[in-house]
Amino acid sequence: MLFSPCEAVIERVSAVIDGEVSAVDHALFHAHLAICPPCRRYYKQLIQIRSLGAEPSADDLPDDFADVMGFVLDAIEPAQPAAPPKA
Amino acid sequence: MDEAALLTALRAGDQAAWRQCLQDNLPALIGYAARMTGDRASAEEVVQEALVTVYRGLDRFEGRCSIRSWMFRAVRSRALDELRRRGRVVLSDDGDPLEGAFDERGKWQNPPPDLGGELDRKIDAQRALAQVRRQVDRLPHDLREVFLLREVQGLETDEICAALEITPENLRTRLHRARKKLRAQVVRAIQEGV
Repeated sequence: MLFSPCEAVIERVSAVIDGEVSAVDHALFHAHLAICPPCRRYYKQLIQIRSLGAEPSADDLPDDFADVMGFVLDAIEPAQPAAPPKA
Repeated sequence: MDEAALLTALRAGDQAAWRQCLQDNLPALIGYAARMTGDRASAEEVVQEALVTVYRGLDRFEGRCSIRSWMFRAVRSRALDELRRRGRVVLSDDGDPLEGAFDERGKWQNPPPDLGGELDRKIDAQRALAQVRRQVDRLPHDLREVFLLREVQGLETDEICAALEITPENLRTRLHRARKKLRAQVVRAIQEGV
């Protein structure tokens, strides 16, 4: 991957992020970035944007589930215990 | 409690088991639904209805995926119903956000622009964060949902595949496209000063 065309390297970015490449390919990918400023910039932007996009907000982490939990629990009816065997 | 014991308790309507299960999963489910539908009130309704559906369908659950994945599947299905009702389901096209970026030898002919620190959170954290979130919300829904499940909710590959009923290969392709498209949208928005 070190001297691969940049397009092929960029196509592997997601696989590298997700740890789906071998250790050798991982090292070659980063070696390519070390000698290729445009690919390095692309990778850095992608990582920054991904990290910002993953940032939780107040909406992602609601602190009060009482209404939802109450609604669901109200809908649940405990199963009836099996009738005892007749004597 | 292991998955089999949990399933038995949930099927039996064990309120303590349900309460624990809801405490463990509601934050992620509501967060996911909120980002899918675009508002918290709809998200809560979506999750409520989805979980009641899960409860009523427990007898049909065959255990081919985790209960958590099944809950996400139900929420996703209900969220999609809501988006369809609003006419807001937009699927991705086949366009490549990097089209024209490379020459015939695969070398950059239109290299990534220097964004001048716009994304550097140390410079303007809230602005960058808001910009990226806006662009995540504008992703086509088939790309947005994989981004949310993987990057925001941190689900594993098998959980996402079970929730969305897609193959790992399909997930890899969608995630790659989601990240590429998101980057392209953010870069364009920053360049246009949006």
